Amino acid sequence: MDCTKCGNPQVIAKREYSGQYLCKDCFIESIEKKVIKTVKKEKLLDKGDKVLVALSGGKDSVTVLEILNSFRKKNIIDLCAVTVDEGIDNYRQDGVDIAINHAKRLGIEHKVVCLKEEYGITLDEIMQKPNHKGSCSYCGVFRRTIINKAAREFGATKIATGHNLDDEVQAIMMNYLEGNIDNLTKLGAKSQSKAKEFTVKIKPLREIPEREIGLYVVAKDLDVHFASCPYAQQSFRGEVSEIVNQLSVDHPTIKYSTLRGYDKIKNILKDNIKKQYPEGRCVKCGEPSANELCKACTFLEELKD
Amino acid sequence: MKFTLKYKNTTEEKELPNTEYTIKDLLDELELSAQTMVSKQNGELVIEDSIINDGDEIQLVQIIYGG
Repeated sequence: MDCTKCGNPQVIAKREYSGQYLCKDCFIESIEKKVIKTVKKEKLLDKGDKVLVALSGGKDSVTVLEILNSFRKKNIIDLCAVTVDEGIDNYRQDGVDIAINHAKRLGIEHKVVCLKEEYGITLDEIMQKPNHKGSCSYCGVFRRTIINKAAREFGATKIATGHNLDDEVQAIMMNYLEGNIDNLTKLGAKSQSKAKEFTVKIKPLREIPEREIGLYVVAKDLDVHFASCPYAQQSFRGEVSEIVNQLSVDHPTIKYSTLRGYDKIKNILKDNIKKQYPEGRCVKCGEPSANELCKACTFLEELKD
Repeated sequence: MKFTLKYKNTTEEKELPNTEYTIKDLLDELELSAQTMVSKQNGELVIEDSIINDGDEIQLVQIIYGG
């Protein structure tokens, strides 16, 4: 089959969900156009924004950086990036080096924040503790806090993350299946909290399937960190992902229909569920928190035992 | 008829079972999901429907990892 758009016989992508065959140039262009369309449709960027990219060095965050840089080149936004080094031996350093190189290549402000320097402990050390609660709990909470702090330090007005179509559909299905309707209302292309310390978060890759992001970085020869976290565990998200991917084989539009359906009911859900935003502050670190101690400080206290 | 398979850090010569053998057939044989891989045929990205020819070099790149 030739490229549906230009007729080039060298096709690299077959889109079951649209019936399209695309050559390398048309595929790259279609991904970039689709992301720009999401940015415009969801009003993710305002002129003059300073966007902090949460840059792990993996395929998703490198793609976000690459495509948002096109807005920077047109002087619409400014870009900066933060990389969190959780302290995972034989894994994280490659991603950190790749992130540093991309920031240098594009000439953007970038900082690497180590869990060890920030909290005095690495993820490897946490996992040695007999009372640990599983790596992902700590990693998620500490990373989120570090990224929020970095956004304030950089004076960023938005935080861009690499969440893709698969991530978003998994989150919708997980929250629905668990009956977690409060969390269900928090998903979407753009999320903001009433707490002024929390910067608005945006997901420019929300409509791009994960596999197409992988294909995009390989097609563009972008250096990214392809590896599995040594602490990756069998999770509910993994199970949901497997089911959705299995369903996609015979129903290739199912990820998009799940996303579109969610987008239609989101506002109705939001209007009906009044969320309790944290109005207090953590007594230890001053971050917004619903309780006396924020989640990060609670973990640090528990890890002292 | 043979082809060269490059996957992870290994390179191996493999026998081509028939003239209609595709990259999708190879992925199925190796029990790898096309959802998590991209394929190169003689250095160029291709779709999984692509037929493997005698003397080809096929490189499989894992782009999605669990966790």
